[in-house]
Amino acid sequence: MRVVRDVLDKAVVDRNGHEMGRADGILLALDDGRAPRLDAILIGPAALGDRLHPAIGRFVRALERRLGLDSGRPVRVRFSDIERVEHKVRVRLAAGETAVEAVEQRLRGWIVKLPGSR
Amino acid sequence: MRKLVNLALGIITSIGGFVEVGSISTAAQAGSEFGFSLLWAIAAATLFLAALAEMAGRIAAVSKRSMAGAVRERFGFHFQIVPLGAELVIDILLLTAELGGAAIAVKMLTGIGFQWWIAPIGLLVWLVLWLGNFSIIEDGVGLLGMVTLSFVVAVWRLHPDVGPLARGFIPTIPHHDLTRYGFLSVSIVGATVSPYLLNFYGSGAIEEKWSEQDLWVNRLTAFLGMGFGSIVAMGCLVTAAIVLGPQHVQVNSYEQAARMFVPIFGRWAVTLFALSLGIGCFGAAVEITLNAGYVLGQAFGWTWGVEKRRRDVARFVTAFSIVLLLGVCIAAIGFDPLKVTLVSVALTVVIMPIIVLPFLVLMNDTEYVGEHTSGPIGNGLLAALTILGALMAIVVIPLELLGG
Repeated sequence: MRVVRDVLDKAVVDRNGHEMGRADGILLALDDGRAPRLDAILIGPAALGDRLHPAIGRFVRALERRLGLDSGRPVRVRFSDIERVEHKVRVRLAAGETAVEAVEQRLRGWIVKLPGSR
Repeated sequence: MRKLVNLALGIITSIGGFVEVGSISTAAQAGSEFGFSLLWAIAAATLFLAALAEMAGRIAAVSKRSMAGAVRERFGFHFQIVPLGAELVIDILLLTAELGGAAIAVKMLTGIGFQWWIAPIGLLVWLVLWLGNFSIIEDGVGLLGMVTLSFVVAVWRLHPDVGPLARGFIPTIPHHDLTRYGFLSVSIVGATVSPYLLNFYGSGAIEEKWSEQDLWVNRLTAFLGMGFGSIVAMGCLVTAAIVLGPQHVQVNSYEQAARMFVPIFGRWAVTLFALSLGIGCFGAAVEITLNAGYVLGQAFGWTWGVEKRRRDVARFVTAFSIVLLLGVCIAAIGFDPLKVTLVSVALTVVIMPIIVLPFLVLMNDTEYVGEHTSGPIGNGLLAALTILGALMAIVVIPLELLGG
């Protein structure tokens, strides 16, 4: 597996085939004296912001904090939780166990109040 | 049989959905100022559009990926942010122009100032997107758009000479206003090959669950639908050339453009022109708004689509609603829709390479199109045309602006 080519920016789906977002970032673990190790996929706009510029990442984090959407975000999916990598990255988690849907749920709360949303 | 019905419907909707604010204004200006001599630009641009749409459909049918999704996966987010940003800016500008065009059409019918109509039309666009599914949106827009065939009827009743008409399909250097001629040919390409159309087409293929078995439907819909559709834009150019050309009318407003129908349709002229403009623009506004939701959803990996319950695609709905609101607010400020149109179509050509060149890479990557990769001649021609168009735009647009 070549992690940038095969994982980064790919769509991530949970064990039920539900979309979790895209692999917005890759987290490496650095231990003293050892080679860096693949730790997790990051999903969430803050991780994407970090990739563009650290200031954008900080801005997105501050915004999420202010809106009360920062808990557990960006979502970390450990490499050990990846089931397989095809044109989508399938993971063993369920989207509902993570905070990937925090924004979707907040918006859904408003949208369901409109007639015709169901 | 069902596939044939879908194909026929696809072609009809392509015809009905072909003209909108950009194609009507550029064709009317080209016809009134340069006679039939820019017909080749519409033909070439349509071929270009059909080739690109076919590619977007092919990727969708084979790999079930949208263009925006495929570009992010293949080139990464650092690259994608550029075409994504450019497409959104052009989408919003064009949406502003379409809302303005539709509002001017209602003004022609009612006499009430166009700015009063922007918000109600915006609301109507939102309601169509909120309540409709993909086939209602696409087929409804396309079928209503058949009124734009008025341009073809007009040409039929004007009996133009076939010789000069045919010569219009051969590019020639004009005897006057070379810069303006270049500017209009670039604008026609920009008005025809709108980025939103490409992503909308590919996203539609995913919404309608096309597979490899539908590749022939894709090819026919793209080439026949858009080919027949371009006849409507050509009809507008020819009518403007025959009616407005001899009067030396330079089309600076849609009200002026409407005069092209007067000798043919008499007292129905304004009504028919307004309906053609209004429905064409309204349909385009719906598609542009929806496309903004598509590209954002696909780029960021949200669940998207108008086939799903709206509560299940909350970010997608919010995204297209915000884009529509932005379009309505900018249009309501009262910019001249014709000017906004010309700016957005010119910009489209400048950014064309960053939209088109990823297509070429993806169409040669077996991971995305399997065995259905493009041939080297088609690839080379498309790349050369894209770069040539952009270079021409970079040279001609400043000249036109300085001259104007």
